[in-house]
Amino acid sequence: MTGFVDLFTEANSALHRMDPRVKIVAVILLSLLALILSELAYLLALAAFMVLLLLIGRASLSKTMFAFSYVFRVMILIVVLWPIFDPSGATVLLELGPVKITWEGVLDGLGTAIRVFCLAAVWYILMFTTSQRDLVRALVKLGLRFDFGLSLAISLRFLPTFGATVESIKDAQRARGMELDKGGVAKRARNYLAVLVPTTVTALKTADMLSLALQSRAYGARADRTYLRELSMRPADYVALAAVAVVFALSFVGRYLLSVPL
Amino acid sequence: MEKNEGERRPPPAPARFVSPKVVALYAILTALTTAVTMTLVIPLPTRGYYNVGESMVFFAAFTFGWRAGMICGGIGSAAADLLLGYGFFAPITLVAKGSEGLVAGIIGNIKGGAPWAKIAGIWAGGSCMVATYFFAEWIFLGFGVALTELPANVFQVLLGGLIGLMLSQAVAVYRNPRPKQA
Repeated sequence: MTGFVDLFTEANSALHRMDPRVKIVAVILLSLLALILSELAYLLALAAFMVLLLLIGRASLSKTMFAFSYVFRVMILIVVLWPIFDPSGATVLLELGPVKITWEGVLDGLGTAIRVFCLAAVWYILMFTTSQRDLVRALVKLGLRFDFGLSLAISLRFLPTFGATVESIKDAQRARGMELDKGGVAKRARNYLAVLVPTTVTALKTADMLSLALQSRAYGARADRTYLRELSMRPADYVALAAVAVVFALSFVGRYLLSVPL
Repeated sequence: MEKNEGERRPPPAPARFVSPKVVALYAILTALTTAVTMTLVIPLPTRGYYNVGESMVFFAAFTFGWRAGMICGGIGSAAADLLLGYGFFAPITLVAKGSEGLVAGIIGNIKGGAPWAKIAGIWAGGSCMVATYFFAEWIFLGFGVALTELPANVFQVLLGGLIGLMLSQAVAVYRNPRPKQA
């Protein structure tokens, strides 16, 4: 299975201890902030802040490298391709027939690349420092219906199981002589079918058993359910929430009400 | 409290939750979409990887209706994006694959899911997904990147649609086996 099933890393940092609800709200506000800002200097400052957060959150190096390997490729692609398709600037650097590369275009490309980095980083910081259980719990506390939250939690729990199921069925079919990566589109589609049909039937059987298990544990018996663990906000959480909210509000008012170039 | 000791409390209001069958089915379909997207990738010389996660979106939409296609396709694919390292694509994927599952589920189930309806569903749902990715990439990443990704997305929809169509036909036999002729 390519990728990580769970990006969360156990650690005892300030970000790990923070209330997951505060983290979710802060991540949404910071993503919007990255979309609001357009001047290169401010975007660079935001990117530096993201790197600082990664350091504070003690993100593991291998997971960080993994998470950003694709992002870096896209950033390079943007920096290269943006100026070619955006000939709107005034200061012309280079002109080759229909292609006109301008200084403003290059700067815009750089800004967009850094914005993409900020957007990616802020969500990965959330995934690195919040366990899946806390994430679902926070979403339920933020107003997601309990049954939807339960569904999400179950699906996160079954993800590695099905990953292993697919792998073992793939190996079994390979042992019987199937070649997944050979042939034209129709041949390949039929080969994948040989893996997907057993996987799907296994999964649907699991779903039947699971619904019986849910019923036998009195799922949905009463509406006024209680929770084993309650989330509680600490003073530091309020401070962090207030800081993010103030920065976001200042940028929003500055950009759209006072038209300050941010 | 005027109530006397022997009086029993009124029974609590029955919860108005989604039925356990639906909770289990949607959870499993979401996990399956994510797992298939992350596991079955087709290495190709040009752009790295295609995945057959598309086929699970179409399968969910054709077999369990547009609601399952939208929720399981959207959330499952977005989760796979996050876990595979395409994190900033996750919100776009949520919309793209969610609309794909929604449209394919509605159109593909016309006349009880006739083959022509399913093919029309793949075409319409696939167009939704390709268009969403194209315009979102245009806005966020620029026209150049959007244009380079377009053929890859079209190919992925064609392959995923073909597999999803065959999968939904094959699994329909498992779910509703034809009664044996006496």
